[in-house]
Order: sequence, then C-alpha cells, then structure tokens
Amino acid sequence: MQPTQDKDFDQLFKNAFDDAEITPSRDLWSNIESEIEPKKKRIIPIYWLSAAAVLLVVTAGILVYQQQHVNPKQLTSYVAPKVKPVVVEQPVQDSVVTNVKPVEKTEVVLPVSIKPATSLAKTTVKKVAKPVEKQKIVTATEVLKQETTIAKTEEPKKDIKTKIEEAVFQPEKEIVIAANPTTIKADEPINDNDEQNIKNIRNVGDVVNLIVNKVDKRKDKFIQFRTDDDDSSLSSINIGPFKIGKRKK
Amino acid sequence: MKLTRSYTINDLMEGCKAGDRKMQELLYRQTASKMLAVCMRYAKDRMEAEDVLQMGYIKVFQKIKEYRGEGSFEGWIRRVMVNTAIESYRKNLRSLNVVEIDEAYEQPSTGFDFSRLGMQDLMKVIQKLADGYRMVFNMYVIEGYSHKEIGETLGISEGASKSQLSRARAILKEEIIKMEGFGYATYTG
Repeated sequence: MQPTQDKDFDQLFKNAFDDAEITPSRDLWSNIESEIEPKKKRIIPIYWLSAAAVLLVVTAGILVYQQQHVNPKQLTSYVAPKVKPVVVEQPVQDSVVTNVKPVEKTEVVLPVSIKPATSLAKTTVKKVAKPVEKQKIVTATEVLKQETTIAKTEEPKKDIKTKIEEAVFQPEKEIVIAANPTTIKADEPINDNDEQNIKNIRNVGDVVNLIVNKVDKRKDKFIQFRTDDDDSSLSSINIGPFKIGKRKK
Repeated sequence: MKLTRSYTINDLMEGCKAGDRKMQELLYRQTASKMLAVCMRYAKDRMEAEDVLQMGYIKVFQKIKEYRGEGSFEGWIRRVMVNTAIESYRKNLRSLNVVEIDEAYEQPSTGFDFSRLGMQDLMKVIQKLADGYRMVFNMYVIEGYSHKEIGETLGISEGASKSQLSRARAILKEEIIKMEGFGYATYTG
C-alpha cells in the first residue's frame, strides 16, 4: 500500500510544520527597516538652493535696475562691482559648492556688455597704484603733513561713500560716477560695507538677505530668508505678480 | 500579554498598507517566527533561512498594496516567503545536484513511530536533503503545488519533479530510520 504510506508520510511533515515557529536568532527588523524606503537626505538640496538663490539675487538686481530705466551700459558698470562681494563673502559659509557656483554666475552676468568689463579691469589696477603713490609722498614729508593728508584722503572717501550710495539707489547720478576716472571709489565703500556686514553673517541666508536688501527696496523683497535659526529657510519670494511666503510685518 | 496582540492581523495589514512604520514592525514581530519556520524548510541552515526571511519581509512591505484580501493575509505573507526562497534557490542554482544516492533504498515497512518525531527532527532531515530535492518536497508536500507547477517554477520537467519527490521521500525515510535506529533498532529489525 505504497500510496497510502506516502500520504501518511507526507501528512507527518504537514502536521509537524503546520504551526511551526522558530524564533530568529538575531533581530532582523533594523535591517528590514533600513531597506524599505531609505530616507532621502536633504543636505545637497540646501546647497543647491543657496547657489540658486545667489543667482536669483543677481538676476533680480538686473531686473530692478532695468525697472528704474537705467541703460545697460551704466547698469553693468554698477552690477559688476556688486557681484564681486558675493564671491568675497562666500568663504564665510564654509560651503564649497556655493563658493564655486557664484563665480561661474558672475561670468554669466558680465558678458552682458563687454565695455564695462574693461573699465572694471582698469579700476582695479588704479586702486592698487594710487594709494602706494600717496603713501610715498607722505613718508617723504613731515609728520604733520602726513596727518593732514591722511585726513584729507579719508574725508573724500566718506563723501564718495555717500555719493555712491546715492548713486546706487538714484540711478540718475550714476553717469557722473561712471564717468569719473577714479572708479576705485566704487570698490572701496562697498568693501567697507562688507566688513561690517560679515559680522552679521552667519549663513547663506544672511548673505542673500543682505544683497537683496541693497538691491530691492520694496517692502516684499524679491527673495527673503529667515535666519533666526541655524538653518536658513526661505521665507518669502516676490517676483512681480508671483509671491509666496510670509510677509514681514 | 504583549501589546502587540491587541492588534488583529488585519489591523496590521491596513497599517502596513498605509506605510505605518510602527505597524510594519508589529507585523514583523508577530509573524517572524512562523515565517522563519517556513524559510528554514527551504534553506540549508538557519543563516540562509534568516537571509531569506529578511528579503521576504522587505518584499512583503514593498508589495503589500498588491494584496487584495483574497485568502488570509498570513497565507499571503507565507507565499511571499516561499517565493522568495524559491527565487533565492534559483539564483544560486547550485543545480539540481542529484547527489549520489543508493537506489537500493527499500521502502521501509511499517514499524516506526511517527508520533515520536518532533518538528525539529523533521527540519533537520529536510535540511540535509540536496537543494533540488528539498525544493520539490517542500513545494509538493507542504505547500501543495502540483508537479506541473513545480516543473514550471523550477524549470524542470513534470516527470523530473515526480521522480525527485519520490527520491526525496526515500532519503527522508532512511534518515528517519537512522535517527530512530538507535532507539528502535530492535523493533525495526
């Protein structure tokens, strides 16, 4: 009676394994958990966001100037020095990614017109040369004279500073400044400001806010970051008709 | 009593479908030992079985939306485990490695006491089987696949499935006799 025997034999196994339980010797749950839906880290997107933000701010600057009826020639001569600080400020952020990106972006901005680029190059040369000359003259003369010259050189600086600040926000006067051969002055005040600003900069959000504040004088900024907490988070965007985020009250 | 018992398996199923991590863990904790027993039958040893168990649960959670309530949820999980075990076997395919066996095995006449054999003993002898035999025996005897299905799944002919099954039975019987032989030598002669 072989078939019956096989059946009985099979049944023996079936019964034995029917409700069999064997406890796993190791806890497999943590392995299983890590395999299902691995959580996506959002570290990289923050870097991309900040890089994108810098680009947006630069673009916004151009747009705002255009709205104020500035012709392109003047525009670039002023935008170009403004772009520079962005690059200078970046190292504060310890972020390699954002550091690299803005540099590329400045190249994108500059080609808007080639003429200002050359004038910009001239200014940097002059900037280096001029103070050295003055210094030599001063050391050659008396101490008293030295002091007065220093006082003199500093005074005009302040004037220029205010002039430039006016010029930046009142484009009509820009022509005067742009025509001024000592364009160094355009660089210097901005650098002074940078030194002050760096103190308040803790993260990328601060950098962006700072630049936006300079460029965009509207109540609702083109782009705004909340920087109270450690992570700067985007709090508002205002591109003409398209606005998102909380408004600052 | 553990808190986990306060959820029915269907509660857990719904929770898992919703992707609730806590419910997934509870489902695992509640069913793992039963499923390990399934995986053990298909594996050579505990390590291999636990690897299959882990892969099986990952599949369970990934494919849970495919469960449409046909048949019991536990039965569905069990099928996933079996399929995972078969898949793993096919991947490794250490071939059907027909181990040399003495064809001379006689079907033992009646005389040994089935009831004395525990699940652990049977597990041991099953795990000793060559991989191919173990697959066929498990699929046919425990899971209830037909020879046709087994042939299709394992890529062998229906006849091969049948012959491997009977060989598997013969080997198992021999092993059981050996196991019991020490105690029952006088009875079995």
